[in-house]
Amino acid sequence: MKLLEKQLKKIEHLFEKGKPLEKFYPLFEALDTFLMTPGKVTQRGPHIRDAVDIKRVMVFVIIALIPTTLMGIYNAGYQILVAKGLSADFGQCWLLGAQKIIPIILVSYLAGGVWEVLFAVVRKHEINEGFLVTGLLFPLTLPPDMPLWQVAVGISFGVVFGKEIFGGTGMNIFNPALVARAFVFFAYPAQMSGSNIWVAVDGFTRATPLAVAKEIAKGQPVLQGLQDAGYNLSNMFYGFIPGSIGETSALACVIGLIFLLITGVASWRTVAGSVFGMLAMASVFYLLRGPDKLAIFALPPHWHLVMGGFAFGAVFMVTDPVSSCYTDAGRWIFGFLVGVLTILIRVVNPAYPEGVMLSILFMNAFAPLIDHFVVEAHIGKRQKFLSKTI
Amino acid sequence: MAHFQIRKGRDIKLKGAAEKRVVGLPLPSKVAIQPLEFRGLKLRPAVKEQDLVKVGSVLLTDKYNPDIRIVSPVSGKVAAIVRGEKRVLTAVIIDTDGRQEATIYPPYSKDKIGNLSREEILSRLLEGGVWPCIRQRPFSKVANPHDTPKAVFVQAMNTEPLAPDIDVILKGREEEFQAGLDVLRKLTPGDVHLCCDAKATSPVSSQSKNVRIHQFSGPHPAGNVSTHIHHIAPIKKGDIVWYVRAEDVLRVAALFLKGVFSPERYVAITGEGADRRLYAKTVVGASVSSLLEGKLKADMRYISGSILVGTNAGQQGYLGFYDSQITVIPEGGKRHLLGWLNPGFKSYSFSKTFVSSFLPQQEVSVDTDINGSERAIVLNHVYDQYVPLDIMTFFLLRAVVAGDIEEAEKLGILECDEEDFALCSFACPSKVDVGAVIRGGLDEIEKEG
Repeated sequence: MKLLEKQLKKIEHLFEKGKPLEKFYPLFEALDTFLMTPGKVTQRGPHIRDAVDIKRVMVFVIIALIPTTLMGIYNAGYQILVAKGLSADFGQCWLLGAQKIIPIILVSYLAGGVWEVLFAVVRKHEINEGFLVTGLLFPLTLPPDMPLWQVAVGISFGVVFGKEIFGGTGMNIFNPALVARAFVFFAYPAQMSGSNIWVAVDGFTRATPLAVAKEIAKGQPVLQGLQDAGYNLSNMFYGFIPGSIGETSALACVIGLIFLLITGVASWRTVAGSVFGMLAMASVFYLLRGPDKLAIFALPPHWHLVMGGFAFGAVFMVTDPVSSCYTDAGRWIFGFLVGVLTILIRVVNPAYPEGVMLSILFMNAFAPLIDHFVVEAHIGKRQKFLSKTI
Repeated sequence: MAHFQIRKGRDIKLKGAAEKRVVGLPLPSKVAIQPLEFRGLKLRPAVKEQDLVKVGSVLLTDKYNPDIRIVSPVSGKVAAIVRGEKRVLTAVIIDTDGRQEATIYPPYSKDKIGNLSREEILSRLLEGGVWPCIRQRPFSKVANPHDTPKAVFVQAMNTEPLAPDIDVILKGREEEFQAGLDVLRKLTPGDVHLCCDAKATSPVSSQSKNVRIHQFSGPHPAGNVSTHIHHIAPIKKGDIVWYVRAEDVLRVAALFLKGVFSPERYVAITGEGADRRLYAKTVVGASVSSLLEGKLKADMRYISGSILVGTNAGQQGYLGFYDSQITVIPEGGKRHLLGWLNPGFKSYSFSKTFVSSFLPQQEVSVDTDINGSERAIVLNHVYDQYVPLDIMTFFLLRAVVAGDIEEAEKLGILECDEEDFALCSFACPSKVDVGAVIRGGLDEIEKEG
């Protein structure tokens, strides 16, 4: 350990002002503080500081994503074997899945990381650890058969236009990972939507549960239709269905959520708000169901929780503290509206089977406005209170 | 008597509390007055090096209001007038002679104080050098004698980590304390508010007259002046409130009852780095080494005040004018391998990201390490739970950083001081010094008038 410290000290001077590698100081700082804590002390009060730092917070989000990532890898392999009509051997699933998914994650980290470092060097600020999260969130929202070059283009767009043009970490309006996904979604529709992309086997077609539910003819029983397509509550909850890499398993997302809430890294208000919003809106449609209505109206509200990307979005995207609301009241409203919009898109919008990504991005744009009203109300309340005092 | 239960905030239970026993220390050989502590004053020396001074002799006067003077707490010789960068006056150091001869003004009897006019009281406080004990909100600066405050707050509690117990200091001095309150009573047409800890045992907290007594309970910052003012008589734009620490009320009393500037100062010697932890009776501006009886150690930080809001005095430093506590904690600065992976059985954190957060709470040992590097603010929801004022901390912070003074005022910056955000600065995972930013905003507002 002392040896490592010495080695770091030895190369540090190369990155100092006026030295050849001065420009790459952020890179050195990132490596240096990644390996060893900075060891700087306070100069003035408060003389002591909390042991937690942003590095740790971000690492905790990554830890929360581990179940989802592992499940995504396993399921990708599993779906390939099922599609080919082979028996789903445990080891084979891991192997095939890893071959598909690991490169996607690596490309995302690599391509996004290059931009991250580039901006840090040009702007002369530290490399923010938040990228570690964005770089993993993005691939988890993709179908397992995504071409790698599109992954690279997508994450580049997300980092640059989702984050850096707003001034970098902490200033972005939209969730960068979702910006990246929205970009590839609209730029490469052939690889991002339809029924033949969710399993990494050429020519194999299987629609996702939401697409199935939407296709069912008016007046037909929706649950029967899903059952016929091979979907039921339990396999959708556990996640052994086709879909984007990280979204299929609601269980894995719930494990991540529990971890995030226990450690206090995520705000429970946004998550609770979005679950309430979703259940409320889905209940409205459920009550309106009838023979002349779309079949998907009759989907019981709790089914929506485990279908599509809702669980993943509510746990890992809605909770992004930077792009959601900053006030407690705002977090409830933000989450609630994300849930409502998601159901609206899922049920009555004819174009897209899934609405999580679009509703979160839409609400990201409105988050500052919601906060504005909450803060105005707070100021009004303050003034009223002060005018009553002596 | 009103009782306020404060819910937001947090106590840091640090190792090294002082034993509740008062020990008189010999007069330190050196004391210092540090002009930068007197916020709002522009002080000029009224003495030269080698001048002989008595207790109560004028050392410094304010440039804008020469009636405001800082006096010597000891008799002896001016050893040095120290200037820092840009020739800013940083300290007047005095070698004590041990005689403690004092400038004496005519004393008043207890009953006579009630008959004194406001002008007589003001002039005595000013000439006696006790005036700087009276400070004002907003801006936490030394009060301006030409103002009339809407209320005077007496802070008779302290919830800072390892803070001295004011009961120990006030014990048996109820009559003097009452005389001091009677003096303060004359300063405002409004009320004098005596804010006590709900757990206080001193008769002062229940039997004081001519004041309104309030009790506060709950975690730090339940004892902060801002918390008291906010709950009792919040500051609107244009309001001025004065505040005095309970220890200084005794100094006010002595000036009237005995006619002298009382230099006494009780100091709680705290922190795991201090060998003998108790309450020391010494003088204002005592040297750090005298307080620790010469037992100074390397790799320790000597803080005048608490770990949250105190100043780094250093081994060669002096106790601050307003400080009744000295805290000695180990310096940090050791680097640890892969710190972000550390499960943290011994780490101290308000967050729940360490194993220690789930273990039973014990008194903790904390060093001065920042434990991370500064980053953009990402977790914006951590602050408000530590601020018991009606303040949206993150938005206030943002308004100040953006230079939007008007918005900052609307959000209540005038009700706050740097110290109210010390817990936020402590807890911030992005290592942003929230208090310093807010202080910058207050300075800006003050400058623009």
